[in-house]
Amino acid sequence: MIPTVIDPHTFDELQANAGADFVIELVDTFAEEAPTLLAELYAAQAVGSADRFRRAAHSLKSNSSTFGATRLATMARELEIGGMPAEAAPIEALGRELDATIAALKALARQ
Amino acid sequence: MKAEDPAPQTMKFGRFEIVAAERRLLHEGAAVALGSRAFDLLAALVERRDRIVPKEELIEVVWPGLVVEDNNLQVQVSALRKVLGANAIATVPGRGYRFTMAGGVATPAPSSVDVPAHGRIVPPASFASASPSSSSAPTPAARLLVADDNKVNRLLLCRTLELLGHHVVTVENGRLALERLRAERFDLLLLDLEMPELDGFGLLEQRSADTALRQVPVIVTSSLEGVAQIARCIELGADDYLHKPVDPTLLRARVEASLERKRLRDREQELLERLAPGAAAHREPSAALPAGTRLFATLLMARLHGVEAIAAAQPAEETLELVNGWATLMVDALAGHGGRIHQMTGDGLAAVFAEPLAAVHAALEMAEMSALFAADRAAAGKAPVALALGLATGEIVAGFAGTPRQAAYACIGAAVRQATELAALAASSGRTVLLDGATQAALAGTGPASEPVPDHPASAPRQPAAVVHALSVPAA
Repeated sequence: MIPTVIDPHTFDELQANAGADFVIELVDTFAEEAPTLLAELYAAQAVGSADRFRRAAHSLKSNSSTFGATRLATMARELEIGGMPAEAAPIEALGRELDATIAALKALARQ
Repeated sequence: MKAEDPAPQTMKFGRFEIVAAERRLLHEGAAVALGSRAFDLLAALVERRDRIVPKEELIEVVWPGLVVEDNNLQVQVSALRKVLGANAIATVPGRGYRFTMAGGVATPAPSSVDVPAHGRIVPPASFASASPSSSSAPTPAARLLVADDNKVNRLLLCRTLELLGHHVVTVENGRLALERLRAERFDLLLLDLEMPELDGFGLLEQRSADTALRQVPVIVTSSLEGVAQIARCIELGADDYLHKPVDPTLLRARVEASLERKRLRDREQELLERLAPGAAAHREPSAALPAGTRLFATLLMARLHGVEAIAAAQPAEETLELVNGWATLMVDALAGHGGRIHQMTGDGLAAVFAEPLAAVHAALEMAEMSALFAADRAAAGKAPVALALGLATGEIVAGFAGTPRQAAYACIGAAVRQATELAALAASSGRTVLLDGATQAALAGTGPASEPVPDHPASAPRQPAAVVHALSVPAA
């Protein structure tokens, strides 16, 4: 079974605990920070730094879990645990999922 | 000054009423004699009754612009407790005082009424927050440091902790966290593991070698997987571990537990430092014990009679609440008269005084406070308790006894034994305060009234010339 983009239960709880207005701010921060982490994955791969790669994947996993972005979290975890891939394809796939996640989060946060 | 808004003219707390405009306190409608400083203190405590008020803040309000020692504040607190009841003002060791009386029903003052600036009493938004119940009281605000390189995590953790009422400072890596910890006071560190420059493990390693840093508890928050990481954190001295994303309920519970442990440690440390300067330093392994001193002193032994029966019959929480409430009042009375506590045993404590008269005055205040405390319990239909106190004067040896790893400040000598025996005798004979002959003689007629208890076995044979005296204690 393929997980949905955002787990509504996790996201609702986040809003209930932290406040809906604050979650808008948090989503915007994620939208600003996540592309930097994605770029770090590419950069780490380019210079062959497995440790930098793992750290960036770890951060993406952590933030995705916070918002209930389960599919993105799963992909980031695979990169964190599986190690730096030889090709760019897994990173590109993660990038596409990241775009979809950010769009979904922005829409959900402002509902 | 003119009241600019509907400031309350009177506030009711049970049978008491505070008339701010007239700077008067009424008890069932009748005016209560209260000094101006005591009234100012009452106004300050009531105005701030939603929180613990540090001593320094109270001194600044009650004695503005003056340099005043703590014992002046304690005297005024005692005066208020005598009027309002022993439990009306709670001492929170190391943090200050809190007004705990329920109520606070305010009547708005007419706009034409003159309200003295320092007599103005403003109710908090919610009277419920001023509940005297310690168990339901919110955790006092603490100063927390959050170290996390991820901005989303930092913001969320900061938000959650601020919603719990804490002050939060954030940093982006372990190096910056160490700098802040070494420069400022924090009550707790929430530490991420994966960070640039210095990661969480590196910080924990440096902390483990630094006595001052070890005083700040650490909760590790990380999404690193595997038990080995958690075990390594615990081995390095972390107090707790929370997996990210952090559950707010778990976070609250862990933070409060860590803060409570720190408060207890701080309280113990503060008591040690206050009552036996240098003692805290000697709790460190390998430190040598300092030499003892021989001194002429008055020993005070106090027991709260009746606790054993309560402990046997009541829940443990109730017994602890009882002895803690009593000890708080006693410690205040002792400190206010210059006593140095060297032993606390729950329902008993021992203190040493340089001056017999100071010890007698402390004993009188303790008797008065204990009587109020007992009256409060009686009014609540609770089992009775009573103070039994012995005072003895003589030469003693004082110093740290034990081993270099674990030592306690101790007083040794015949006067210590005599004071202990007199406290036991007071309990068995229904008296409150008994003095040995040496204490009575040292007062040379300058102390409060007392009557001899000549046929008492404690009067002989060790000090044949001495006669035990019972101190006249005013009724509550």
